Amino acid sequence: MSPMHDNSSSVSREQVTEAYLKAIGLIDERVAPLLGKITTRVLVQGAARRVMNEYPFLHFLVTRPYTDIVPSVIQEQLSGVTSTELAAGLHALLDECFAGLRELTGDLIAPPLHDEVDHQLRQIQ
Amino acid sequence: MESSVQSEPQVEDVESSTFSSSEPHEERLTAILQEMEYLNTIGKRFVAAIDRFQVHRALLAALRDQYSFSACCILLKGDPFELFIIPSYPLSASFLEAMVQRIASAASALDFLDIDPRQLAKTAYLDAPDELALPGSQKQEKIGDGEIRSGLNIPLTVENRIIGLLSLFDEKASTFDTNLLQLTTMIADYAAVALENVRLRERENALWRQADFERQRLELILRSMAEGLLITDAHGAIISLNQSAQRYLAPTNFQREVPLRKLAETSDVEWLPRLAEIVDQALSGEVATNQELVIGEGSETVPLTLNISAAPLHEGDSVSTRPIGVVAVLNDVTSSKQVERLKDEFVSVVSHELRTPLTAIKGYTQHLARRIERRIRKVRNTPENNVPVNELPESYDLRSLSIIQGQTEHLERLVNDLLDLSQVQWGKLDLHYEHFYLADVLAETVRSIQASAELHTLYLDIQAQDTSILADRLRVAQVIGNILDNAIKYSPHGGKVTVRLEGLGKEFLVNIIDEGIGVSTEHFDHIFERFYRVHNTASQQYSGIGLGLYVAKAIIDRHGGRIWFSNNQNSGSTFHFTLPRRPRTIPLG
Repeated sequence: MSPMHDNSSSVSREQVTEAYLKAIGLIDERVAPLLGKITTRVLVQGAARRVMNEYPFLHFLVTRPYTDIVPSVIQEQLSGVTSTELAAGLHALLDECFAGLRELTGDLIAPPLHDEVDHQLRQIQ
Repeated sequence: MESSVQSEPQVEDVESSTFSSSEPHEERLTAILQEMEYLNTIGKRFVAAIDRFQVHRALLAALRDQYSFSACCILLKGDPFELFIIPSYPLSASFLEAMVQRIASAASALDFLDIDPRQLAKTAYLDAPDELALPGSQKQEKIGDGEIRSGLNIPLTVENRIIGLLSLFDEKASTFDTNLLQLTTMIADYAAVALENVRLRERENALWRQADFERQRLELILRSMAEGLLITDAHGAIISLNQSAQRYLAPTNFQREVPLRKLAETSDVEWLPRLAEIVDQALSGEVATNQELVIGEGSETVPLTLNISAAPLHEGDSVSTRPIGVVAVLNDVTSSKQVERLKDEFVSVVSHELRTPLTAIKGYTQHLARRIERRIRKVRNTPENNVPVNELPESYDLRSLSIIQGQTEHLERLVNDLLDLSQVQWGKLDLHYEHFYLADVLAETVRSIQASAELHTLYLDIQAQDTSILADRLRVAQVIGNILDNAIKYSPHGGKVTVRLEGLGKEFLVNIIDEGIGVSTEHFDHIFERFYRVHNTASQQYSGIGLGLYVAKAIIDRHGGRIWFSNNQNSGSTFHFTLPRRPRTIPLG
């Protein structure tokens, strides 16, 4: 999956966040019927915990469900973070989510979903 | 079955398109019906499970309908985590180890905190099906090379809360199928609810056991208590009591559910109305403390005496509502009373013994004083005497004798107080009424005390015209003497002490005003208690035995008067007492 920050200098933090939230939303949409509604939320929380050493600004995702992330939260939590840093952090988060999904179901869900998410992110770019 | 495990929207699609009936739709409806029947069968198995092992069996049966696998594992969140491994056949140690490792990784992905594979392996519970334990069974042989080739982990969810993880492992590749994943998750949901129900049931049972244990412990404590304990309902009827209380209440033939008040109306037991009164006081919301109740026979030297404290019982924490009952503690204080009785008898005997020499000292002092007075008169009448009378050696002797007389009278009052103690204590303080003038008694006492109080100036202020009274003259003098002794003792630097007598209709009011140290608020409630003394400060010692005011109050109470005190605005305090000019009831004898 190619990260979004290749040309992110012209993209705002809100746009970056929105793109990755949509990607996570797509995972949720596909995973919920198969593994239950709450699974994606805890996968994101687990992923945020694993990346927070490298991207401390994503710490808020450990305690707050990704579905609660709105523009005001981004302003409050991500002040001083550039779009490039944010894109890198969210990309790492997404990778960890897929890693988590592979831990759960092996190759039953992750590979096709990974392609689908990658495609969606490319479209947004 | 495979078609039936498609996502939920597809099921809805099937339902919405049912009305455009055609052959394929009927087939799909049949499939849905079969699926529902299947889920119903699984659901019944889980509902019937009453412990976690029955849940495991139900889960295993449902999963085996879908897959053939090496082991099924259940990880439950908690402190510590609980891991149950249900093998389909004997597994090698390396397979088990690999499973635990994979479970820990999947749990971390789901954000289970502080999960340690080594700890999990140590505490894992192997729940092998019974058939694996059969002797000689081929299934007992360990199979497999220890490699996991298929794995599936599904969160166990109850009401949007992940309570654990269901893991399936197989040594064959591609065991698990995406098309069956949804159905497997449904089975996991059933298992999660069933396991949560088991957990709640276990918790409930544990709480019941704990509550029962606490109840038994409380019963044992109450049964073993030396003090009697009784509990009444909102009407004052005894609903529970321990063995000690049963023993005390045995003579009353009390019946549960009959209010004590009602029982007291018909009972011959003299003390029962008082007990009912104490309970009623607590039922009105007031705590009754240290209420003495003599329940023994009057003929006994020291009858069985109880000290009762009763408090209202309120529902929950609400004290604003009417009490739902009363809890009362009955403490046997007979032995204390016996000790008190012995002490009073001892004090009485000693006081009597002291009184005899005291009478002799008083008599001889008086005799000597009269002789010296006669000698002074003789010298004064001698023409050749030119020394002023005040400077005669006899005058010095007379002053010394006056001090001895004053102190002897003080000592006599102390001895009288000690003698009176037991009379007051046992309610046998007798009064000998006679007609006299209160002003005279006040004057005599003031004069007597002034003789030995050189630092103080005592004033008598009579503001009543007629001071005649019918009372016990000696006792009234004792009261005034005790209060004056106190006023002088607590005015260590001297000063003025005023005794004021006023007539107030049918009674007299006596005020004794000093300029001493006053009374601190902490002593207010105790100053008339027996043996109570204002504590000595580091800089000042105050002698005394703490009986003067106790006896004074008893005498005034017995006369039908009142006694109290107040602190003066500037310094010192004022003791007040009233005495009826005539007793309210006609004294006998």
